[in-house]
Amino acid sequence: MMDTATRLARDMNRGAGRGEGAWPWLAAGGVALSLLMVVALLVLLAGRGLGQFWPASLERVTLDDGRVFAGEPVRQIETCDGHREWLYATANRDLDGQAWRWVEAGRIVSRETPEDLVRLERQRWGPFIGYVRAVQPSANSPLGQPAVESSAWRILQARLVRARALRERLATLRASTLAPLAEELAAAESPRPATLAAFDAAQQQAAKLRDALGGESLVLESADGRRLTVPLESVLDAWRPNAMGPLAKLGLWGQRVWAFLSEGPRAANTDGGVWPAIFGTVLMVILMSLVVTPFGVLAAVYLHEIAYQGRLTRLVRIAVRNLAGVPSIVYGVFGLGVFVYGIGGTLDQWLFSAQLPSPTFGTGGLLWASLTLALLTLPVVIVATEEGLARIPDHQREGALALGATRYETLTRVVLPMALPAMLTGMILAVARAAGEVAPLMLVGVVKLAPRLPLDGDFPFLHLDSKFMHLGYHVFNLGFQSGDIESALPLVYATALLLVTVIVVLNLTAIFLRHHLRARHRVLHR
Amino acid sequence: MSVIHSPSAAPSPIVDFADAASCFVIDDLTLDYAGKPALSGLTLRIPRQRVTAFIGPSGCGKSTLLRALNRLHDLNDEAGRQGRIRLEGTDIHGDEVDVAELRRRVGMVFQAPNPFPMSVYDNVAFGLRLQGIKRKRVLDEAVESALASAALWDEVKDRLHGSAWALSGGQQQRLVIARTLAVQPEVLLLDEPASALDPISTLKIEELIRGLKSRLTLVLVTHNMQQAARVSDYTAFLQAGELVEYAATDRLFTNPRLTRTENYITGRMS
Amino acid sequence: MDITSDTHSQHISNQFNQELEDLKTHLMAMGGLVEKQIQDAIAALLEGDSRLAERVRDNDTAVNDMQLKIDEECTRVLARRQPAASDLRLVLAVIRATSDLERIGDEANKIARNALSLAESGRSARGFVEVRHISEHVRNMVRDALTAFARFDTELALKVVREDDAVDSEYTSAMRSLVTFMMEDPRSITSILSVMWILRALERIGDHADNLAEYVIYLVKGLDIRHSDVDTLDERDLGSKG
Repeated sequence: MMDTATRLARDMNRGAGRGEGAWPWLAAGGVALSLLMVVALLVLLAGRGLGQFWPASLERVTLDDGRVFAGEPVRQIETCDGHREWLYATANRDLDGQAWRWVEAGRIVSRETPEDLVRLERQRWGPFIGYVRAVQPSANSPLGQPAVESSAWRILQARLVRARALRERLATLRASTLAPLAEELAAAESPRPATLAAFDAAQQQAAKLRDALGGESLVLESADGRRLTVPLESVLDAWRPNAMGPLAKLGLWGQRVWAFLSEGPRAANTDGGVWPAIFGTVLMVILMSLVVTPFGVLAAVYLHEIAYQGRLTRLVRIAVRNLAGVPSIVYGVFGLGVFVYGIGGTLDQWLFSAQLPSPTFGTGGLLWASLTLALLTLPVVIVATEEGLARIPDHQREGALALGATRYETLTRVVLPMALPAMLTGMILAVARAAGEVAPLMLVGVVKLAPRLPLDGDFPFLHLDSKFMHLGYHVFNLGFQSGDIESALPLVYATALLLVTVIVVLNLTAIFLRHHLRARHRVLHR
Repeated sequence: MSVIHSPSAAPSPIVDFADAASCFVIDDLTLDYAGKPALSGLTLRIPRQRVTAFIGPSGCGKSTLLRALNRLHDLNDEAGRQGRIRLEGTDIHGDEVDVAELRRRVGMVFQAPNPFPMSVYDNVAFGLRLQGIKRKRVLDEAVESALASAALWDEVKDRLHGSAWALSGGQQQRLVIARTLAVQPEVLLLDEPASALDPISTLKIEELIRGLKSRLTLVLVTHNMQQAARVSDYTAFLQAGELVEYAATDRLFTNPRLTRTENYITGRMS
Repeated sequence: MDITSDTHSQHISNQFNQELEDLKTHLMAMGGLVEKQIQDAIAALLEGDSRLAERVRDNDTAVNDMQLKIDEECTRVLARRQPAASDLRLVLAVIRATSDLERIGDEANKIARNALSLAESGRSARGFVEVRHISEHVRNMVRDALTAFARFDTELALKVVREDDAVDSEYTSAMRSLVTFMMEDPRSITSILSVMWILRALERIGDHADNLAEYVIYLVKGLDIRHSDVDTLDERDLGSKG
C-alpha cells in the first residue's frame, strides 16, 4: 500500500524536473494520504466486519481454581496494573446470563481445542458453545429409535439438512399456494367451494410440515457439565470448527456471509442478517432518484435554457447552490412538518378516513423518506445538469435552430440527449449523498425493525406508506442502542462495509450507464 | 493638359443591384448588443445566386450581420435592431413570418463544424424529420442527394450509420453543409466555414461553395481575404460596424476605391 | 485610391515592406544602368569611340542578369505574400518594367554595334544631327519615366506618354531625309543604313519608355491605358478616387 503511494508520487513527479522544489512531493503526499485513509477505512471495515463470520477455533479453558469453560478467544488486552486479560466469547447466554468472559491470562491452566466442541446458531438466546449429547425423539418423529450419544452429532446434521428443506418447502407453500388463495378468498364475496377446499388442503399441508419440523429436542452440555434441552427446530445451524479443515471453514464462512446478506435480523438485531435494511436502502434510493432526476433536470433546463439571464435568475441559482449546504437534519424536520404531518395528514383525512385515528400516510414512511431525500439532493442534480448544459457549445443549439427547429425541438432533440451524461452524473452524486444520509430519515420513516419488505406480492406491491429499514440507521442502532455491544460491534463493521458496498454498487451502476450513453454518443457503430 | 482631380465625380464605393436581382435587401440596419452598437446604418443588397463575401477585422460586425439574416441575432436577450431586412421582398421581421420557416429557407453553416452527436444519416435527416417527413424511402433519397451535393456521398456512403463525430474536420463541415442543403434552403450563410480546417479541406469547401452558386445565394463571412478573393463574386468590407466598400471582388482586390479598404486588404496600418 | 511612393512601406509586416522597397531599388538600379548604356552608345557613335561601344556591348549581360534577378524577387513576393491591390500592381508593374528595360538595353546594344561598324568604316555619316536630336529626346523620356516610377508621379508619366508621339513624328521625318541622302549619294548607302538602324532603335527605346510610363499610371491609378488613346482619357479616369 505504501508501495502504491510511492509509485503514485513517482508518477506524479514524472513531469517535474530538477529545481521544481518540494511542491510536487507535497501534492503527491496529499494524494497518498487520502489514498491511505481510504484503504485503511476499507481494511478496517472488511477485517472487523467479515472476520466475525469466520468459524474460529473454540477453546476449552481450565482455570487455576478448576473451573472450566469453552469459548472463542477474541482478543487480549493489558490492564493498567500490568496483568494481561483474555476476552472469550462464551455464548450460552441462557445458562450464564452473559455471553462474554474476561479471564486473567495468569489464571489459565490449560487451553485445549477438543474436536467435538460445537457451536450452535439458535433462533433464541444467541449461539451456544458446548457439546451435543443426544437427539431425543418425539412421539410423532419418523425416526422412532433413541439416538445414541456417539452418533448424536451425525443425527443432528441430518436433522438440520431436513429442517432446512422443510422450512424451504413451507416458505414456498406460503408464497405460491397459500397467499394467492387467501387473496382470492378475501376478494370474492361468496367463495367458490373448490377454492375453499384447495385453501383448506394447503393449510393442512402447512400444518403437517410444521409438525414435522417440531417435536424433537436436543440435549446439550456446556463445557462445565451443565445440561440443557432445546427444541431441535430452534437450532438453525451447528458446526465443530476444531474438526474442520481450512476449505470447510471457508465454505462455512461463505454460507454465513450469505446468510447475513439474505436473512432478516434476529435477537433484537444483534444476530441474523440485514436483508430488509439492504432492500430498504436500495429501494428508497431508487425511489428518490425517480423523483429527483426529472424535477432537477426540469429546473436546470428552465434556469439555463429558458429563463431570462437576469439578476433574478442569478439569485435563484445562488439560492439553489446554497440549498446544498443546509444540514440534512433540517430537511428531516421539513419532511416531518410538511410531508408527514401536512400532506400525509391531509391525505389520511381524505382517502383513508376509515383507518383513522391510526395513520396511513400521516406517519413516517417510504414515500416521505424518499421525497425528503429527493429534496435534499435536488440542488446536486440541478447544479450538475446545469453544468452539463453549459458545456454544450452554443453552436450545437444554433445548428439545430438554423435548420428550422423551434426552441422546444432544439431542446428535446439536441440539447437534452447531449446533456444526458451530465444528468446521470447529477443522479450519481445524488445517490451517493442520499444513500449515506441517516439523520433526516429517523424523522420520516426509518425504523429499527421492519422485517416485512415494502415491496412484495400483495397489491399494490409497492407499499409507499410502510416503514422500512436502512443500513445507515441499522449501523447507528447496533452501535448505540444495543445492549450487547461486544456482539453488536462486528455487525456494526459488517453493516458499515455493506453500506459502503451498496453505495459503490449504486454509483458503479449509474457510472456504467453514463459511460454506455457517452460511448453511444461518441462512436455509434464501430 | 493635366489631369484634374475631382473627388465629386468619384463613383460610389457601394455596388448596387436591381430589386429583381437581389435576394436580400437591407435598409438602414442598425444592430446592437445591450445598447452597444455592433452595426450602424447599413444599407446593402445581396444578389441572388452569387457568392457575396463579408470581410473586415474582428468585431467589425460582419458575423452579427450574417446572424441577423436568419434572425439568430434575435435570440440573444440583449440584442436590439432597427431598420429592415427584406428577403425576396418580404420583411423577415414581419408579424406573419414563421422564424423556424425563415431559418429553413436561410440555412447557416458555422465556424466550427457542429454535427449533432448522431449518425451521419441522422444528421442529414434531422431537418427533414423536423418537417415531419418519416417515410424511409423519401429520407433515404434526400439524404443521398444532399450528401452528393456536398461532395461527401462517396466518402461516407459505407458509414452512414457511423457516428458523425468520427469524421474528419473537413468531412464534418461538408456534412453540416449537406445537412443544411437537405432542407432545400434558398440562401446559405457561411460563417467562416473553413477557419478550423486544413488547406486541402478548405479548398474542398471552397470548391463546394462555387458549385452551389447555381442553386442558391451564398453569403460568406471570412477572415481569410484570399478565400474571399477566391470564391466570392462580390465583397463587402466592413469596419467598426460600418459598410466601407462593397464591390465586385475582382475590383476590390486589385483596385479598391478607398484607402481604408486598401490598407485592410494589403495588411497596412491605418 | 491613389497611392504615393511611401504607400508600400506601411505594412504591418516590416519584412514585406523591405521586400517591396528592394524591388523598387533594384528596378531603379537597373534603370540607371540602362540609361547609362543609351548614353554611352550614343556617345560612342557620335565620337567614333569604338572602345566605348565595346563596353556597351559587354555591359548588356549585366542588364540581362539584373532582369533575371528582379523577376525572381517578384516571383518570390507573389508566392509568399500573395499581394493584393496596390502591392499586387507594384509587383506586376515591376515585372513588366524589367522586361521593357531589358529591351531598351538590347536596343542600346544594337546602337553600339552599329556605332562600331560605322567607326570601322571611318566615315562620319550623314544624319548624325537627327540622331543627336532624337537620342536627346528619348533619353529624357527614359529618365522621366524612371523618375515617374520612383516618385509614383502620374503627371510626369502622362507627359512621357504624350512625348512619344513627338518622337514618332521626328523619327518619320528623319527617315524621310535619310532616304533622300541615300538617293543623292549611293556610296553612303551602307553607312546611312546603319544610321537608320540606330534611329529605329532609338524610336523603339521611346516606345519602351512610353510603356514604362503607362505602368506608372497602372501602378498608381489601377488603370490600364496601354491600348487606349491618351487624348481620349478624360479627367474622371485619371482623377483622384479617394
